[in-house]
Amino acid sequence: MTETSTRFKSRTKRPSGRPELYTSYSQHLRMLNTRPKFVSVTAIVAVAALLPWVFDDQTLSLLGLGLAASIGAIGLNLVTGYAGQVSLGHAFFLAIGAYTAAALSGDPEDNELIGFGVTNVVVWLLAAGLVAAFFGVIVAPLATRLRGLYLAIVTLGLVFIGEHIFKEWPELTGGPGVGRPGPVPELFGVGLNTPGDFLTAEQKLYLLMLVTLIIFALLARNLVRSKVGRAFAAIRDRDIAAEVIGVNLTRYKVLAFAVSSFFAGVAGALLYTITGFIEPSSFNLLLSVQYIAMVLIGGVATISGSILGAMFITLIPALTRQLPNVAPFISGDATKAFNVFQLETVLYGLLIIGFLIFEPRGLFGIWIRIRNYWKAWPFTY
Amino acid sequence: MTTATPSAPPAPTTTTTVASRIRDRSLRTPNKVAMREKNYGVWQEVTWAEYWDTAMTAAHALLALGVEPGDRVAVHSENRREWLYSDIATVAVRAMTVGLYPTNPAPEVAYLLSHSGAKILIAEDQEQVDKALEVLDDLPDLEHIVYLEPRGIRRRYDNQKLMFWDDFCDIGKRHREEHHGAVEERMSQAKPDDVMTLVYTSGTTGPPKGAMLTVSNVEFCIQELVEGGGFTSPPPSDADIMLSYLPLCHVAERIFTTWFNASAGVQVNFAESIATVQPNLTEIQPSVLFGVPRIWEKVLAGVNIKLASASLIKRTNARFWLRVADRLGDKLVRNGGEHTIGTRLVYAVGWLFLFRALRDRIGMRKVRYAASGAAPIAPEVLKFYMGIGVPMHEVYGMTENTAIATANFPGRVKLGTVGEPQKGIELKIDETTGEIMTRHAGVFAGYWRNTEATAKTIDPDGWLHTGDVGVWVDGTHVKIVDRMKDIIITAGGKNVSPSEIENALKASEFIKEAIVIGDRRPYLTALIGIELDTVGEWAQRRGIAYTTYRDLSEREEVIKLVQGVVDHVNERFAQVETIKKFQMLPKELDHEDGELTATQKVKRSAMADRFDDVVESMYGKAGVS
Repeated sequence: MTETSTRFKSRTKRPSGRPELYTSYSQHLRMLNTRPKFVSVTAIVAVAALLPWVFDDQTLSLLGLGLAASIGAIGLNLVTGYAGQVSLGHAFFLAIGAYTAAALSGDPEDNELIGFGVTNVVVWLLAAGLVAAFFGVIVAPLATRLRGLYLAIVTLGLVFIGEHIFKEWPELTGGPGVGRPGPVPELFGVGLNTPGDFLTAEQKLYLLMLVTLIIFALLARNLVRSKVGRAFAAIRDRDIAAEVIGVNLTRYKVLAFAVSSFFAGVAGALLYTITGFIEPSSFNLLLSVQYIAMVLIGGVATISGSILGAMFITLIPALTRQLPNVAPFISGDATKAFNVFQLETVLYGLLIIGFLIFEPRGLFGIWIRIRNYWKAWPFTY
Repeated sequence: MTTATPSAPPAPTTTTTVASRIRDRSLRTPNKVAMREKNYGVWQEVTWAEYWDTAMTAAHALLALGVEPGDRVAVHSENRREWLYSDIATVAVRAMTVGLYPTNPAPEVAYLLSHSGAKILIAEDQEQVDKALEVLDDLPDLEHIVYLEPRGIRRRYDNQKLMFWDDFCDIGKRHREEHHGAVEERMSQAKPDDVMTLVYTSGTTGPPKGAMLTVSNVEFCIQELVEGGGFTSPPPSDADIMLSYLPLCHVAERIFTTWFNASAGVQVNFAESIATVQPNLTEIQPSVLFGVPRIWEKVLAGVNIKLASASLIKRTNARFWLRVADRLGDKLVRNGGEHTIGTRLVYAVGWLFLFRALRDRIGMRKVRYAASGAAPIAPEVLKFYMGIGVPMHEVYGMTENTAIATANFPGRVKLGTVGEPQKGIELKIDETTGEIMTRHAGVFAGYWRNTEATAKTIDPDGWLHTGDVGVWVDGTHVKIVDRMKDIIITAGGKNVSPSEIENALKASEFIKEAIVIGDRRPYLTALIGIELDTVGEWAQRRGIAYTTYRDLSEREEVIKLVQGVVDHVNERFAQVETIKKFQMLPKELDHEDGELTATQKVKRSAMADRFDDVVESMYGKAGVS
């Protein structure tokens, strides 16, 4: 034919109001390819940006935690949801990020804890990500050898090794039961965790989390719809077939772990900026399970699902902590027989089971279901 | 010919042709979109400059291959860009375009090519090339076959006459360099009475006849329909978008695709194939849409199937609003298709609940003008579209008068009629025979190589005998009774129009074909063919197992279903017009088997022969078969 692939670009504006009339591939591939998508995403971001002036500081720091956890959940979703490499070691990478950031921004005058006094948030955030990614790359070769359950067990081992090291290295972590202060955020000389003239510490931190999440969500979204993302999906669906069609397994598995760990590192650093305190024993299996829960409940292999899941899991404690007021047999005290913390753990398990059975595509799947219902209106298919 | 062509000097005349219109548009708006074709999942655009450039190259290629004024160039292809390039190139070099239906089987291809004496054939693909090669020995005039799709042909077929489109264009490019301006020179010699196309009528009786349409016929058509707003109001413009999916060799699609495009700049979008019309419609969302009854019926049937299998809430919602649409349709019909404040309010609410989404799904959300023509259609079908907000108009015309006869004008619609005569034409209904006759500048120049038929069709006063029987409704609108030769005179001496009954039957989503029989018989009977999709779906929902079309047709439950439809239709007609008995057609009618014409019209004579025994069985003389 006289047409060649060079002709696939649109030279004119396409007729209005015809969302399915694609005159070029770039229109097809645009991230916000329809007007409703563009409008709703803009609206959600705008609402999120206005929340600091709506909620009190306590709620804001909770939401901020959810935003930071979202970055970690996206990271886990990249490696587990998209690339299909089950990882129970996410807590380890979160810890690496948290400690890297805390050490970098820590007080150099302190004799007991390592500290370098680099408080610029951009610097320690990147460093946290990079160091975590470095450990991810070290671990990744295991994934090229192992699959499924075996990989899960090995990454589980990672959590235990990490827990041990953090307990036995008080210069970095402050030791069990003592801990150390979280990273100190500062941007262009403005302290982000101290009240300022216009904004409270919580408002500033919330906005920091929001901006970082938007950046990382966009990065992830673009990664998964690129060649790399398709390679991930190919590996997930059938690694042997992926190799046959020319996907370099080693390279992409290493890449998946590296990127995922980078996200986890960043998330770890941000999370403990909000709490302001790092306790070494908190990086345990339960934390990893929480992230797995975020991915499964939010929606496997979806970016917005990861955010939904992370917000959901982060906000559960806020709800369960209210339970002792309503149901007296549940105790709010951690030392009593049946307390809210145990309930939370049980709840994670139940939620994971429930979602896997009834809504395998997670919260995002529910959204898809609703969307398809209206998209097909007035028909069913 | 009724146009008086003064014997003007042959020097630089400025006869406007379709080709010169495209040239002018390519100079005025070179970068606007002229057409789109979906390839590799993307609607690729062709601008006016590119359109004209390619057409020029093709025209030079035709010159290089020795095409003289008056030669015939045949195009045997689905609708695509090359169809238009070839057509325009042919007009530019003052030759005649002959369109062949992609479904034409080899014997018909042989007849059309030899009868027209085509010198060059533009064939789409291996399928069409094979048809031509099969009968090549009977085609002494055919010098070249240009194929568009090389797959299976290039480097496989060894025939001196074959040529790939790209090579054809290369010839054109070389010729264009060496003989710069040769095409323009040929264009400047164009005369109003140049025959620019042969449109072969489908031929429900006997072989197809080639109607000669001249440059002035087409120009008159453009003046009436485009510039005069004969169909749409306001007239079509370059903001309008349409989908080209019906065969371009038919005069109706030629008007809407080629001539609307050339004269008003309407953007043409080529559907991938006839099978993908529905998805293509939803993508393109045309603003002007022409369809034959079969298409409108099929879309309606599709809506009904999908609604029947929708979930309870959706189904209830749709049922309710479709009933509202039905009442809206009634009101609109009484009001000539114009909204009142009341109907507008009701429609606005319905728009939220159903109409917007429904129109979006069937690809008619943006339609500002819809037309049905080329065959009679049941008024209920039209009313459905009016009710859901698609401004539907039935129009009437035929190849022989360049489709200029009557149309329902926006705001003056009368359902069941084909509308009012176009402005500035003469139309009369013969008092004795009831035949509709037209006289205007669009009346064709005659049948190609068939003076006998020409003389029968155009009388010495220039009146075109359409062969359709019509009556006046309220003195303004014309209602078509039937084709003159199809009218049934029962043994009791009553005149019955079968097509009205047939269309009432076909308005049911379960019935695809209905042929009413009863000429010189004591009562009316019908042959009925079911719509496989809908009846199949219906059977499945009831757990009725079936294997083939024939098996399904002969199921007791299906016959009962059809009986219900027939009874329902019978209620609306007078006693003599009721169907007393019917039989199911044992097969789907097909063009290849000679039961349908290329435009999917039933060939009654063929039916009578083929299903003779079935028909006789309904009149109680079946024993012999």
